[in-house]
Parts: sequence; structure tokens; C-alpha cells
Amino acid sequence: MKKFLILVALTSITFAFTLPLATIKIKGSDTLLPLAQKWAENYMKNNTNISITVTGGGSGVGIAALIDGTTDIATASRKIKMDERLKLQEAGKAFKEVIVANDALSVIVNPGNKVSQLTREQIEGIFTGKFTNWNQVGGEDMKIVAYSRESSSGTFEFFKDHVLNKKNFASSCLMMPATGSIIQSISQTKGAIGYVGMAYVNDKVKDISVSYDKGKTYVLPTMQNATNKTYPIVRPLYFYYLSKVEKNVKPFIDWILTASGQKVVADIGYIPLQK
Amino acid sequence: MKKKRNFLNLFLTGMVLLSFKAVTAQETMYLPVDSLGNITSLIQSDVDKLKKLKFTGYFQGQFQYIDLAGMKSFEGGNFPAASDKRFSVRRGRLKVQYDNVFSQYVVQIDVTEKGVSFKDAYALFTDNWSHSIAIKTGVFDRPFGHEISYSSHLRESPERARWEQTLFPGERDLGSMITFNPPKTSRFNWIKVNAGLFCGNGINPEFDSQKDFIGQISLSKSAWEERIKWGIGASYYEGGVYQGTKYLYSLKPLSDGSEGFKVDSADANKDRQALRQYYGADAQFSIDLPSGMTTLRAEYIFGSQPAGASSSSSISSGTAPTTDTYIRPFDGFNAYFIQNIAHTKHDIVVKYDWYDPNTKVEGLAVKSTYKDGENTKSTKLSAADMKYTTWGFGYVYHMDEHVKLTAYYALVKNESTTLKGYEKDLKDNVLTLRVQYKF
Repeated sequence: MKKFLILVALTSITFAFTLPLATIKIKGSDTLLPLAQKWAENYMKNNTNISITVTGGGSGVGIAALIDGTTDIATASRKIKMDERLKLQEAGKAFKEVIVANDALSVIVNPGNKVSQLTREQIEGIFTGKFTNWNQVGGEDMKIVAYSRESSSGTFEFFKDHVLNKKNFASSCLMMPATGSIIQSISQTKGAIGYVGMAYVNDKVKDISVSYDKGKTYVLPTMQNATNKTYPIVRPLYFYYLSKVEKNVKPFIDWILTASGQKVVADIGYIPLQK
Repeated sequence: MKKKRNFLNLFLTGMVLLSFKAVTAQETMYLPVDSLGNITSLIQSDVDKLKKLKFTGYFQGQFQYIDLAGMKSFEGGNFPAASDKRFSVRRGRLKVQYDNVFSQYVVQIDVTEKGVSFKDAYALFTDNWSHSIAIKTGVFDRPFGHEISYSSHLRESPERARWEQTLFPGERDLGSMITFNPPKTSRFNWIKVNAGLFCGNGINPEFDSQKDFIGQISLSKSAWEERIKWGIGASYYEGGVYQGTKYLYSLKPLSDGSEGFKVDSADANKDRQALRQYYGADAQFSIDLPSGMTTLRAEYIFGSQPAGASSSSSISSGTAPTTDTYIRPFDGFNAYFIQNIAHTKHDIVVKYDWYDPNTKVEGLAVKSTYKDGENTKSTKLSAADMKYTTWGFGYVYHMDEHVKLTAYYALVKNESTTLKGYEKDLKDNVLTLRVQYKF
């Protein structure tokens, strides 16, 4: 009997040190992907009994996964839609929304493109098909190749609503499934233009200054300009989770909202929440 | 010695347990990347094919109680003569949908204790340029109003309004329809226009050349940062009902000042089509507040309905009618108030509807005879001309994405008339307790 008890004790201790006690699944926005991954990595370092998995797919994909119960947290670069709220209500699922960071949208071109600034109206004209050559917007004689995210993306929705003033993208716009593929395509195509979260911009592409006052002032997407609100294309980033998993995910989300969590935001290239 | 052996046993046990994880780690196999890529590609190809085929469905089992055995009811059908309580499988739907990029095929059947019947069978084709225009052909919901095509698994009350069940029995018809509905990427995605031609006799084979037209325009938009959704619509139905005899009855003033049916018995009436004409308007509004989601929906319809002497129901048969035709001006209305309680699983439902199959007569003027001088003549009015109003009070519990429980009480009131047996309100209130499973 004594041996048996010691054996049970040893078994319990072994499992206590080898298996995580809780898992958190995060799915959704490609914009939030690098940030969510870094948060997960840092949080797990200090909480070894938690396992967090992070996948992308787009804001719409994340919220759909929340509705059908295959994710704990849906990340989104747009607000949840009314149709999605109704589906959650029909499924008897109460949810909560938390703004976790802000993001500036950069309009990017190939580094070989001489154009370095555009007005909102010019950007709208490019993506709606009004302008088809760079020489119409102050550049060289070169065809414009416009790239966009697919319609399931929150980035797509935000850009359409706030930059294109809800106008349709031109049918000639090339729709890409992920931010990385937009970066890749623009870096390889001299006449290309697209839009991505500021954190994704690297030396393979060039971000341009944007004017929202018809060319009076142009502002470059930088951390400082986004924080002081002089750069106009800034949007909140969201976490959505079901109330029934709050106990499981809230410690992680609370940590994200602390100074440590927000430092990760700035380090990755997103805009921390104002204190 | 014994102590030494015991210690050794314990030590060995501990080492076995601790090494278990190391052993499983060593057993993990790492395949070459290109092999993994091939496997993934094969799996993706199969998954892409399987994703085109979708199975969905829902089951609704219920218990009902009516005030009096054998009463007629629009709360799931008439009660048997000797029964005031019943169990039933109200709906057992199975829908198979095959989606290709610009085409879709759908079949839906209904399996209950009454048998197996089919509900939908249609093909849908969408244009691959604008993705805005679609053509649907087969048997599907008539594009009129809001509640007809609002699925029964979503609807908060157990049954549709009386006027809908009467004017559009089975909801579906055989025909073809063109739809203009831009995709969500378009700035006009809030507009939907339907226009179709239908046989007009429900889920039945066609028996004449008459085709009915149904047109609908609906607008739907979100507002206030996606916390409000509103919609409005207008619908029009124009068709004909085959006149099986030369006797055509329409409402005319009678000699005592009331209204009743007078007959036109011209030989030319037979084989002609009596005008079936409906006008409809609908509106929906939902708002998400901290107190929960609040939804209001309302629909109104009026028009001219050709039907039989004892019922104002629309034709639902695969053979031409052989009875006299009665033309009635009618109207109908339904409204819902649905309140979710503070984003919990609980909803409260209040519904009000009326159906007046004959707007030219009401109350005690609905009578079977009238005085024409010394003579007593028939008005040809019947229970088919009686107005009904229904209040519904319900509670819905959304257990999860599959299961929903509903308790609903329908307070059915008919107008008091001079007709024998219909002088007072009938005892036909119904309590429904329903469980729904959806997948």
C-alpha cells in the first residue's frame, strides 16, 4: 500500500511538470499575427503552464471560428459586424471586445518608384481604377498594378471604408490572401502599389506620405506620427472572446494591457494604447 | 536489505516515469520537407473537393396543447378529432448543397412521422463578371416579404403568421427567378432585387399555362459602428387562378346595405384566370445595447385573393380546380418584438398578427343570410371570411449553436360573427414546447 501511494505521488509530480494546465487558441487577423505571436511567446515564458497557439487567416476567418467554437480568441483589425453579432446571439454565445493596440496602415510602393507622396483622392483613384498610369499622379510613364487584401480581411474593410470612402475596388485590383504576399508582390513589381499594416513594412518596399487635406500637408506613417494622430490612417485592433472562456483568457489579455504587454506593441511596430 | 530493495524499486519507478517524456520525444519522426509538401498538397486537393459538398439540417420535436380537442389550428396543423395534446416532429430537414464557384445545387427534404417530402430542389447560377446577378430555377421560397424566406430554424415563433400560411402554403413554388444582389465588396451590396415567374400552385406539378410574377426589392444596412441593422422591403405578386366553373363570386352591396357575394355566371368565365394580386411591405430593425439585442420586425400585405367558398387558401394542387371561384379583398399583418436578456442565452418574444380574408365585411356583418324584402337569401359568406388576430408570447433558450428550446403560447382570437358556431371566440389557443437541434 505504501509503495502504491509513493508510485501515485511520483506519477502526479511527473505529469505536473510535463503537461500544460491550460491552452489558448488565437485565430484571425493577419495584421495582428506578428503581434499576437510575440505576445504569446513572451507570456508563455513567464507562464509555463499555458500553451498558446496563434494562426492567421483574416479577421473574418477569426470571428467565424469564434462563432463555431474553434477558437478562444478571435483577433480582428475591424469591428465585429452586426450579422456576426446576430449569429453569436443565435448560438447563445455572449462575447466581449477588447481593444489591444492600434495600427497604422501604410500605403506602399516598389522602392524603384519615384512617387513618394499621394493625396487620399489619388489613392482612391488608383484603387478604384480611375488612375491606371503613374504619370497621372506625378510619377513616370508606367502602368499601375494595384494589390489589395481579400474581402475577408479587416484591413480590406478598413481601407475601403476610410480611404476609398466605401467605393468599390477596381476589378483590375489583384486580391491577395495575406499581407506577406502583398509585400512580396510589390517588391517584385516596379509599378505596384498596395496597403499593409505599418509593422509589416520592410526594406523591400517603400511607404509613402499621405495627405488628407488635398495636398497641403503630407504625413509619413511613423510611430510618432501615428501616436500623435497626425498620420490619418490609424485603426484599433481587437480581441474578441466568449464570456464562457473569460476565466481562461483574461489573465493573458490583462497582461497585454499592462506596460509590459504594450512595450511589445511598440517593439513590433504597432501603436501602443494611450495611457 | 529489504530497505535497500524498496529504495531501488522506487528509484527505478521514478526514472521510468521521468524518462517517458524523453522516449516519446525521441519517437517523433521528422519527414523531409518536400515529402511533407506533397502530402499537404494531396490532402488540400481532397479537402477542396469535400468543401464543395455541405450537409445541413435541423430537427424540431414538440409537445402541444390546445384548448379543445379536434380544433383547426395554424400552430402546426389541425388537431385530431379526439386529441387536445400531441407530440410531433414538426420539421426534420436535411439539406444537401453542392457549391461550385459560380453555380450551386440544393436539395432539401423533410422527414417527419407524416412521411418524407421534398422542400427545395433548385440550381443557382451566378455571373462570373460582376458576381451581382444570379438565376435560380426549380422549387424554392417565393421571394415575397421577409418571413417567407426567413428559415424556420431561426424564427422565434414556432410558426409563420396565419396570412403567410394561407396565401403562400408551403412557402415554396416552382419557377425561375433572377436576382440582383451585388457582393459584399460592392458599395451597393445593401440592395437586393428579385423578379421571377412561378407556376403559382406551390410544390406541385404545373397544370396550365398561367405564370405568376413575383417582384421584390429590399434594402439592408448596418449603422452606428455595426450595432444597428435595419432593412426595408416592398413586394408585388401578380398572377391568376384558374376558374374551374362559370360561377365567379365577388363582393357587392346587398339590398339590406351589407356586403355579400354575388355571382357572375357568364359561360365565358370558365377556363379564364381570376386575378391574384398582392402588395407587401416589410421592415426589420435590430440594435445591440448593453441590455441585449433588441429586434423589431413587421410586415403588411393586402390585395385580392381568388379562392374557394369555404377557404381563402391559395391553390396548392397539381390539378386544375373544379370549384366555383370567390374573389376576396384581404389584408394581413405581423410584427415581432424579440429581446435578448443582457447578452445571455435567454430571449423573450412577443408576436402579433392578423389576417382578414375579407376586408369588406367585419364582425356581425359576417353572416350567412340577409333579408331581401320578404325573402331570406344567402350571402355566401362563411368562416372563410372571418378575421383572426393572434398574440404570441414566447421564451427561447439558446443552449448552444446546435440546441434551442422554445416555449410559446398562441392566443388566437377570431372576430365574433353571426355565423353559426362562430358567434364567439373559438377555443383554439395553443401552447407549444419545442426542442430544436441544428447542424
